[in-house]
Amino acid sequence: MSADLRNLTDVDRLIHEPARLLIATILAGVVSADFVFLQRETGLTKGNLSAHLSKLEEAGYVRIEKTFKGKLPLTVCKLTASGQKALAKYRQQLQDFMNKTS
Amino acid sequence: MDHDFNEIERRVRRYWFKDGIGEMVIGGLFVLLAIYVAGHQWLPVDSNAPLYLDGGLILILLLGIFLTNRLINVFKLQITYPRTGYVEYYPAKGEEFSAKVFIFLSFAGFVILVVGVGKWVGTFRWLPSVLGLLIGLTLIIVRLRAAELNRFYYLAGAAFGFGLGASLVNWLPQYTVSLFFALFGIVLFATGFITLRKYLRENPLPKEDAHER
Repeated sequence: MSADLRNLTDVDRLIHEPARLLIATILAGVVSADFVFLQRETGLTKGNLSAHLSKLEEAGYVRIEKTFKGKLPLTVCKLTASGQKALAKYRQQLQDFMNKTS
Repeated sequence: MDHDFNEIERRVRRYWFKDGIGEMVIGGLFVLLAIYVAGHQWLPVDSNAPLYLDGGLILILLLGIFLTNRLINVFKLQITYPRTGYVEYYPAKGEEFSAKVFIFLSFAGFVILVVGVGKWVGTFRWLPSVLGLLIGLTLIIVRLRAAELNRFYYLAGAAFGFGLGASLVNWLPQYTVSLFFALFGIVLFATGFITLRKYLRENPLPKEDAHER
């Protein structure tokens, strides 16, 4: 197996999963977003989104806080510094692979 | 692949414009500016009131920007967040203190330049055209950054057109600038209103408590 392909197998599997990759990419561009927004943008069911967020939270990639904006209860999600780093590394690995193989 | 990542980022950025609230509030601000500019002509010439009004322009603009932000947030809290969710964006580069000073100095420089050029040329009739050009270019930049917001191209066209049209009207400069602000403000408010109506139709308030995980 070439080094390029081996590098691709080293990608972070937690971020690599499409739904989680989408969640992380959405959160990377903002300070925070709430559960409703993430659900609408990803098209996932509540249970599914909740499960993926829990996995990201366990890995320390996402921080979840229950808060209020005025009287509106919100479940706010933020991508942590290690989440940002993991996503950036994943994107770089993918980009390198694409550059070398195309 | 990177193209897809960028598209997701643009889609999230577009969300701020989805409800048209920003356009409505900023449109209202333009109409108020139109009244402010025209108001100069209604004040007694022999009093100091026009002078105070000129001096207070920057304060009024800063207050306007502050109130606009507050008002947009209040409306979004009531209308947008319960329907399609809450997003907190990174502060724009212009919200840092050094950037605010730079914007303030640029604005002061622009006013001095406008007054200087106006006195040198002997007329201010070109002013609405320049304002239309600046506003139109800003709208095009917003459109390019967020993509798919084609109404911003039409609004940029309206800014160019109204600016040029107001410059051709043979009125006092204050009235032509006021005319430009009023026309553009009304159009901005109207497109915001249409966008908001479409948004409300497409996104009814969820019946259940959708905020619970």
